[in-house]
Amino acid sequence: MIRLRDVGFRYDAAGASGASAPVALRQISFEVPQGGFRWLLGPSGAGKSSLLRLLALTARPTSGTLEILGSSVAQARRAALARLRRRIGVVHQDFRLLPDLPVFDNIALPLRLQHRPEDEVRDEVHSILDWVGLASRATARPPQLSGGEQQRVAIARAVIHRPALLLADEPTNALDEYQANRLMELFRDLSGLGTTILVATHNDALIRRYPAHELELAQGRLLRDG
Amino acid sequence: MAERPGLFTRWNQARRADGLALRRALPDRLLPLLVAAMTVLAALALAGATGAQILSARWSNGAASMLTIQVPDPDTPTTTAGTTTHLTRSDAVLAALADSPGASRVHRLDKAELGALLAPWLGQDHDFALTLPAIIELHMAAGTQTDATALARRLAAIAPGTLVERNAEWGERLGRLADSLHSCALLAVAIVAGIAVVLIAATTRAGLAARRLPIELIHAMGATDGYIAGRFARRTALLAFIGGLAGSGLALPILVLLSRVAAPFAAATPAPTPASSADWTMLAHTLLATLPTPLVATLLALAPAAALIGWLTTQATVRAWLRNLP
Repeated sequence: MIRLRDVGFRYDAAGASGASAPVALRQISFEVPQGGFRWLLGPSGAGKSSLLRLLALTARPTSGTLEILGSSVAQARRAALARLRRRIGVVHQDFRLLPDLPVFDNIALPLRLQHRPEDEVRDEVHSILDWVGLASRATARPPQLSGGEQQRVAIARAVIHRPALLLADEPTNALDEYQANRLMELFRDLSGLGTTILVATHNDALIRRYPAHELELAQGRLLRDG
Repeated sequence: MAERPGLFTRWNQARRADGLALRRALPDRLLPLLVAAMTVLAALALAGATGAQILSARWSNGAASMLTIQVPDPDTPTTTAGTTTHLTRSDAVLAALADSPGASRVHRLDKAELGALLAPWLGQDHDFALTLPAIIELHMAAGTQTDATALARRLAAIAPGTLVERNAEWGERLGRLADSLHSCALLAVAIVAGIAVVLIAATTRAGLAARRLPIELIHAMGATDGYIAGRFARRTALLAFIGGLAGSGLALPILVLLSRVAAPFAAATPAPTPASSADWTMLAHTLLATLPTPLVATLLALAPAAALIGWLTTQATVRAWLRNLP
């Protein structure tokens, strides 16, 4: 589960510090139980990406308390944070694939960082490549793929290690309706298996098709939790 | 539960595909070249340190433990209480010296040795018109303290005019000089090591900057500081080891040459000059044997030491850099 209590986040922008640094989030409090699914809504600049960064442990709150998968982030040591990160999957809006690595190795990264045996890595990656329909592109490099294909690789990489927490920032942006629906079915299955999922999106049609608990942000504040 | 793969397998997996692309982050030309140059400098400084140490030991234990005695009119019979004895002055002094406590060797320089000693001033002609004094070397056992003044008084009573020259004073001065040279050489080694650390740190930081995005990504996916630092450190250690080996190889002929030049001062036997190119293979073994053992050991340790410096510096640099990430 995840729990936030009065969480604030201020960007330490170059030249800006302390009170003059831009505030991204103010006094955010909510909880998501294990296996819970939340839509994260709000206009651009509302703080959705900042919140996902905090939950992905790639930034630390500047105030309040944040608990991820049962661990308090403020008190966790660096090694413990690394272990936590290995239990989190993230689909970035800009995909963040490594252009030097083939699709296969990009997807295999989370498993290799967990030191899984190479046989197991191979089986898992081929299996998910089949699922995302990219079995024939395993050796291609990300710059050789279309936007939709890159997004499917990013999704495959985020879920291959069956994370306990899955965070997705506009994961259907580059997908057609069929692929988007398949992705939502996957999210539903993972949620049923105990994965806590937060999905940031502007896709109203998708939200209507898959109604769920919503967290709405505006100007860095949580407007709605329900 | 799946069995944990072996260390090599894990290393090989990580090397292949974690996106760090260290060959691009830490190119394999510049760093080995710089480390090779540093290794040559370190080898030369260490050779200086070893040479100074050997000379210091030799001067302290050799010249410093010897007394030189001059006996004028060596062949004149001695007189005791106005009575002439059958002993010459030099024989009487030699007999007295042989009975001295702590004397390990008493040696009177023969005519040829005297001639060699005086050759710089009197030429190679050993037929001197004047009667030369007897020169006697008195070698004392290690650790023996000799009262040169008391000895001079005792010998003067036996053969008036006998002079005792204490070499220890010169030995001590030379020893202090050698010790200073040794310290300077070690300081030079420390400076070279310091420069190597700065160079490796700068190269590592450039590599980190070049691969910032992949590092941030795998850090966000759960790669520990130890994993990322270890990947960079292994690469640097390998490149530094190669550079160290190359530098040691380059330094070897220079050190052998210096060793040959310094051999007379260190009382070592210089290596034979090869008669033909066929002898060079055998000479390679002889060359290492020519060098003082501590220097050979140091030379062999340079490449591992370079690798260790590279590994430690990179570990520290990468871990400090990663502290900027949450």
